[in-house]
Order: sequence, then structure tokens, then C-alpha cells
Amino acid sequence: MDKRENKKSQFLGHYRGLVQVGATLLTNVHLPNFLKGGIYQGKGKAVCVPGLNCYSCPAASGACPIGAFQSVVGSSKFSFSYYITGFLILMGVLLGRFICGFLCPFGWLQDLLNKIPCKKLSTKKLKPLTYVKYIVLVLTVILLPALVVNDLGMGDPFFCKYICPQGVLEGAIPLAAVDVGIRAALGTLFTRKLIILIVVVVLSILFYRPFCKWICPLGAFYALMNKVSLLGIEVDGHKCISCGKCARVCKMDVDVTKSPNNGECIRCGKCVNACPTDAVSFRYGFGKEKEI
Amino acid sequence: MKGGIRLLKTKKAAVQLIFIAAGVGMLCYGVMHGEADSVLGKAIRLCLECVGIG
Amino acid sequence: MKMKMRAKKVFALAMAALMIFALAACSVKDDVSAGTSADDAKNLDDAVKIYKKLMDEENKILSENQELWEKVFAAADKRDMTLQEDGKNYGDFLMDTIESAKDSFSADELKTLKEGAKRISEIENELTKLEEEYPEVREKAIDSAMDASGDGSMSVPADSDNVDVSKAQKFPAFDGKDFDGNKVNSDKLFSKNKVTVVNFWFTTCKPCVEELKELEALNKELAKKGGQVVGVNAFTLDGDKQAIADAQDVLGKKGVTYKNIWFKSDSKAGEFTTGMYSFPTTYVVDQKGNIVGKPISGGITSDEQKKALNDLIDQALESSK
Repeated sequence: MDKRENKKSQFLGHYRGLVQVGATLLTNVHLPNFLKGGIYQGKGKAVCVPGLNCYSCPAASGACPIGAFQSVVGSSKFSFSYYITGFLILMGVLLGRFICGFLCPFGWLQDLLNKIPCKKLSTKKLKPLTYVKYIVLVLTVILLPALVVNDLGMGDPFFCKYICPQGVLEGAIPLAAVDVGIRAALGTLFTRKLIILIVVVVLSILFYRPFCKWICPLGAFYALMNKVSLLGIEVDGHKCISCGKCARVCKMDVDVTKSPNNGECIRCGKCVNACPTDAVSFRYGFGKEKEI
Repeated sequence: MKGGIRLLKTKKAAVQLIFIAAGVGMLCYGVMHGEADSVLGKAIRLCLECVGIG
Repeated sequence: MKMKMRAKKVFALAMAALMIFALAACSVKDDVSAGTSADDAKNLDDAVKIYKKLMDEENKILSENQELWEKVFAAADKRDMTLQEDGKNYGDFLMDTIESAKDSFSADELKTLKEGAKRISEIENELTKLEEEYPEVREKAIDSAMDASGDGSMSVPADSDNVDVSKAQKFPAFDGKDFDGNKVNSDKLFSKNKVTVVNFWFTTCKPCVEELKELEALNKELAKKGGQVVGVNAFTLDGDKQAIADAQDVLGKKGVTYKNIWFKSDSKAGEFTTGMYSFPTTYVVDQKGNIVGKPISGGITSDEQKKALNDLIDQALESSK
């Protein structure tokens, strides 16, 4: 294993926080809109951003892939979206859950919340819950918007409408704060979603990234793509001394020596920096895999 | 043994290439069929209920 | 160690650059045109300041040549012109009056008057733009001006009542067509109804489509009181034939009989509609063409929204008596 390669890997792991700030800013470039009220209405919004970021956010530069998927699939004209699925597959292969770890604003929020000092609870015993996000993906994002339609063939974007806490946090709340009309429109739907947001926030302080682990449909999709992603993690069998530090430091409950491209791994790089023999590193490329 | 791993490596590379091609292909197909316009339309004109304001 | 320090500096610089870029990205189109353009208003306070500046400028023009302008107003009275036809720009009105009375002025006087009227026309456009973006700006500007100068004389038209009312949050004028191809003019439309409910929607918006039946029922109810409901589908601006066909299809399926209209996207009303970002939105307009209260955002199917709408309708009927 190249000592140089590992230096780059460690570098990436150390500066993840800064990349997250940059990604959040780029995803939400139109900051003045928070004070002006209103949203960005330019052509940039035809393009999806890689992370979970609602297009109702005043500052949003692009469209949320999950929201966009539901809106296409829920319209009477289409029942499936090739554009968004193609985009997600491409993102999945090029970056996989690196997006979750480095580029998603809501992921960054959970990271920050988890830094709040208090007794932290482990999610190791709650592994089965990680399957819930796949149900959320299939049911609320794909099936329900396409199948539960009115007499004109129009469906509701179920995840956006009833569940997504990101939309409440960066869309509904800032807009209602500045626009009296929108404030008057807030009703039971908003209240229910606000409760979901508060629960996610509280859980994020106690657990590490509960939304990413158990609920996020976008994370679920990228998790499926982790195994075929060009961006991966590899462990050099010659250097590994099986000390178990990497597995202990992993907050997503992944043992990188056993499954380096596990669907739960968000590529945060903690294991890379924790390894005493520099055996763990990021790798980018086609089909490369060192022997274990 | 070495040959087996090599096969695995090329198999994986092939799968990755197929996914990339599929991703790009589907993306272009969708754009050509007006899906991007549909996304733009919904993203700049918020259906309030759809984003949970209601 | 060295690399870390350098890298940190590079990152910090990059972040700073990104922040500056982010803050500038939205303000790029705000031009530096002497700070008296409607586009310079970044928030309500800015808008009020600019609104006052513009109104002061208009007053200055009129008071600088007060005798000349009084001749113009006298001419207007003589010809029995209604001071402020709905939707017409005050500056244009002055220009017309000057034209009709040009024989009573010398060449120099005409030049001064015409220049003044032209500038007033421009100012009126900016004022309307501000009103469209911030409907409360006029009230706030008048309030703060009243505080500053005790006499609150805002402009010097002959008939001050009319001007005040017609400047109060007017619904942007339009000349459009309904889906059957008949011409629709905003003044005529509003003036023949005691109250007009204008509902903005678009074809792929599910809650907008779901409330169409209720709006149809409302239309029938309003007809008894001398009002009507009118729909504006944001996709049909500029008369896009496919969009109109799609909209008609939806309207037919929901049993909607009330008028749906479209107008050009570069008209005042068109820009008003394109600037709207939340749907459905419902405006209540009284007989004089003024917007009553605040628009209702979101569907009118919930009890609170229904009550709010009915309150606005009653308000409009009151003011139209």
C-alpha cells in the first residue's frame, strides 16, 4: 500500500467538515432569498443536487432528486422517471455513499447535532432498523406516488408531503418566517411534519445519524450502489494486524475489514485515520480490489 | 487463484461500466422526453401541499 | 505539518471565496442605477425608502412648475377626463392632457411639461413595480412621510380621492384572452363585478386541481351576489396552445365553467404571475380593481382558509357598495 495514497486518504478524512460546509453552500447558493422571501426560479433548478435538499428552500440552487422523482412519477404524464433514476445511478456509481458522508446538507446537520455533548447511545443493536429506509424508498418514493392517483392520474409526493424533515427545516420554516400568506397556510400537515423534524433532531443528538441509517430513501438508494461504486475503501491484508480499532471507531456500525463496501458505510474516513498501520484507505477506480 | 481474482476484477469493472452507461443513457432519455422540464416546472412553482405546507 | 498548515490556509480561502460568491450570486442582477430603481429594493424597508424617494421626485417635478401644471389640470377638468383610468399610468395621462392642450403653451413650456410628464411616467412604473413586490409599501411610505412632514401631501393631482384609492394595491392590469378566445380586459372584468376572485394555479399541481370543484361552487354562489371566480393557469401564459388544451382537459374533468384567462408573460400581470412561487394562490379583487387584503396561499379547502376567503369577499362587497 502506497504511503502516499494513504496520506491522501487521511487528508480527506480530516477535512470532511470543510467539504460539508462547502457542499451545503453550493447546494444552497442563493442565501439572500432567506431575507427576501421567495425561492430561486432560474433554470438551474432543472438540475438535481446529489444530497437531500428540498427545492422549497429559498436558497436551493437545484432540485432534490427524491422530490424530483416523486413529482415526475406523480404527474399524469409519466409513471417512472428515467432522468432522475439515471442521475441517481450515475451518482451512485461515481460516488456512492461518499455523497452521504461529504455532500449532503442534512447529513452534515446530523453530524453537528451529534457533537452536542451528552450521553451517546449506540445503534449497534438496532441494525434491523437499517432496512426500514428501503421500505421508505420503495413505498413512499416509488410506488405510492405512481399508484395512488386521483381521477386525473395525479399522485401525491408521499415522502415529501408527509415525511421529509429537511423540507420543513429549510423550506417551510424559512418561508413561513418571511411570508405572511404562507404562515397562514400552515395547518395539521405542517404540524405533523414538524413533530417528525423535532424527533429526528433529538434522536440525532443521542444517536449518530439516525435519519441516514433508518429513514433516508436517498441514502437507501446510494447504499445499494455502494458495492458497484468507483469510490470505495480497501484494506491492505499485508498491513492489517486485526486489532479491531477500525470497527470500534466506526459510527455506522461497519467492520471495514469484513465488508469495506458495505451499504451502511458513508465513507467518512474515521477508520482510515484510526488504523495504526495505515492499512485502510480510500480507492477510486474500476474494479480494483486488493486481496485481504 | 490469481486468474480467479483477475476475472472478478474485470467482472466488477464491466458491471461498473454498464451502470455508468445505463445512468447516462437513462438521464439523456429522460431529458429528451421532457422530464427535466417537468422537474423545473415543479421546482420553481411550489405546490405548497407537496412540500408539506398545509 | 507544513502541508497541513498550507492546506488549512487554502481551504479557509476557498471557503471565504465561496461565501462571497454565495452572497453575491443573488444580488448580481441588482444594478447600480442611482438607487432609485424598483430592482434595488432588497426588502420592505429598502422598498419604502425608494418609494418615498420616487414620490418626492414626482412632487418636486410638479411643484417646480406649479402654475404650468395647474394649467394642465384645468385643461383636464375642461375636457372632463376621468383622472385615473384604471390601469393607466399617471404620467401617460398627463402626457395625453398636455397633447390635447398644447395650443395654450409656448414651445419652451411644452418642452418642460413633456419632460416632466415623461419622468413621471417612468416614476409611476417604478412605483407600480414596488407595489407589486411589496403590497404594503405604499401605506408604509405614506405613514412615514406623514410622520416626517405634517401635511402628508403626496402628489398634486386635481382629484386626490381617486388617486389614493386607485394606487392602493391595484391588481396588475392585463389585456388577455379566455380559453374560448374572447378578449378579456382587466378594467372591464373587475368593474362589472362587485367582487372578483382570481385563482392562480397550474396543471400539474394536485391541490390546485383538487380545489377546482370548490371554486366552481363558489363561482355559482358569487354569481348571486354579483361576483365571479376567474382562473389563471401559470402554464398558459403567452397562449401556449398545448398548455391551454391540457388545462381545458383538467377543467372539463372537474366540471369547471368559470372563465380561465391568459395574458402575455411580459405584461405587468404576466410578470406578476411568473414571480409567484407558491400555488395555489387566490386574490380577491373589488369593483375598483384593488386587491382586498392579502392573497390566500395554499388551497381554500380547509376551514381556516375558507373563512379567510369569505372575510375578504365580504370586505370587497362592502367597499363596492
